[in-house]
Amino acid sequence: MDGVDLVCREGEVLGLLGPNGAGKTTTLRMLYGFLSLDAGAIRFAGEDVGADIGRIKRHLGVCTQDDTFDTDFTVAENLRMAARYFRPRPEHVRERVDELLDRFALRPYADAKPEILSGGFRRRLMIARALVHRPRLLFLDEPTTGLDPQARMAVWDVIGSLRRDGLAVVLTTHYMDEAERLSDALTVLAQGKAVAHGTAASVLGDLLGEHVVVMDAAAAGTAAVVTWLAARGLGEPVGVLGDWHVPLRADALAEFARDFPSLRYEVRAPTLDDLFLKLAVGPCAG
Amino acid sequence: MRWLTAALDWQSRAVLSRHVRVHLRLWYTAFLPPAVEPILMLLAFGLGLGGWVAGIPWHGRDVSYLAYVAPGMLAYTTFMTAMLQGLYGAFIRMRYQRTWEGQLTTQIELRHVVWGEVLWAAFLATFYAAIVSLVLLGARLAGWLDVDVAALPLALPLVFVAACAFAALGLMFTALVPTIEHMNLPLFLIVLPLAFVSGTYFPVDHPALRPFSLVNPLYHLAETFRCLLLGGPIAGALASVLGLATLMLAVLVPLDMRLLRRRVLGD
Repeated sequence: MDGVDLVCREGEVLGLLGPNGAGKTTTLRMLYGFLSLDAGAIRFAGEDVGADIGRIKRHLGVCTQDDTFDTDFTVAENLRMAARYFRPRPEHVRERVDELLDRFALRPYADAKPEILSGGFRRRLMIARALVHRPRLLFLDEPTTGLDPQARMAVWDVIGSLRRDGLAVVLTTHYMDEAERLSDALTVLAQGKAVAHGTAASVLGDLLGEHVVVMDAAAAGTAAVVTWLAARGLGEPVGVLGDWHVPLRADALAEFARDFPSLRYEVRAPTLDDLFLKLAVGPCAG
Repeated sequence: MRWLTAALDWQSRAVLSRHVRVHLRLWYTAFLPPAVEPILMLLAFGLGLGGWVAGIPWHGRDVSYLAYVAPGMLAYTTFMTAMLQGLYGAFIRMRYQRTWEGQLTTQIELRHVVWGEVLWAAFLATFYAAIVSLVLLGARLAGWLDVDVAALPLALPLVFVAACAFAALGLMFTALVPTIEHMNLPLFLIVLPLAFVSGTYFPVDHPALRPFSLVNPLYHLAETFRCLLLGGPIAGALASVLGLATLMLAVLVPLDMRLLRRRVLGD
């Protein structure tokens, strides 16, 4: 990782976005102390985390990408056991566990082993466990990967409510809609570097431009488009299901319209999907 | 020295406490191996094979085969319990149950996970050795066995220390082997040969085996227990087992932490 500068404040959700291998999980694992830093610093409330990560972890909640609950214990026992791994001990653990069971709709499964839970409820348990000690900062590593749409929505609701509670949340995702919907700020990672930071709209504007031109890749005259893009250093068009998606800034779009007056194409606003596609094929154009 | 002082941290106790809780849920099965195995061994080796063996020469006198085997059973229980926990129990928690990764998301750090595993293996080995001691006490009361049962409680602290060292050795293989099937390599190439040249069930007098037994902590542990229960010169054997256990812990625990940090955290 190089040049990654992140800030997450109370009541804010910071999204780390990027394709597979971009360094999202690596960044997160550095933030919660699994990986050592070669250079740079991580601070929590102004205090250098490296100095005493064990103590600072009292204030961190971590929900890993894979399920790591304790299969030897029931759902409720998992929450109670997690509370034993913090000092000072969380207050009123019994009440806190009850509260989390209700809040995450886990009450019917309280005495069941976690392996009987569906994917969505497993994620809920993982998030509930990360919250049992009332952390101030929560890390969620791809919290909805592999979930069906209904379960994803439920997890989104949970994250939204955590933000309203004033918790700071750092999440990684490669779902565009999730990043757009949940995050107050986004940092886009590619090949271990932060390539953009800001709101979804500003990130898209910075990296892609204001417009995406969509055209039939097999249409007559598209070969000239490739030459046109290359001449301006805009890379190659991204192909999706027989169409080309070409992000352009406003001035480049005006030029494009002038140079290809007879070409049939649509113009739409860019989405984070376009950003991913662009990151997957190379440097962003404009 | 943080690697050493971590043994006393509350986090290591929390990990140990977790393992104890899991074990106590199945307490009725937990009693079976340490209770049944020595009874079977006493019957098979002591009463069965022992009937064919007139006596074993030991420190200038002959002792009954049953009396020779009984301290060896204590040592063998210590060794196998700690090694198998370090090998299979720890590997399953690390790889399949992912218990460690879950713990590491809290204030538990890797050095506490390692010490928690070591202490748990030692705790379990001591518990099993205590049950074996009760079986030996029963055999003594039944008149089958002539050992100094009053000395049995003195063996237990040594069981704990030696088991810590054996567990640290087992954890090293847990850090190294890629799959649980590969655990056969240390089991059959290290653990069972160590048990074979340990003098637990027969004296290791063959010149070809003698050098191996002298660097085998299990051999010295069995000899120490024998000296304790049969009355013999204990100082040399005790110093050897304590020295080897200390050396093993000093080398293996930091090594386990380094290897497991790479394996579990990818750091």
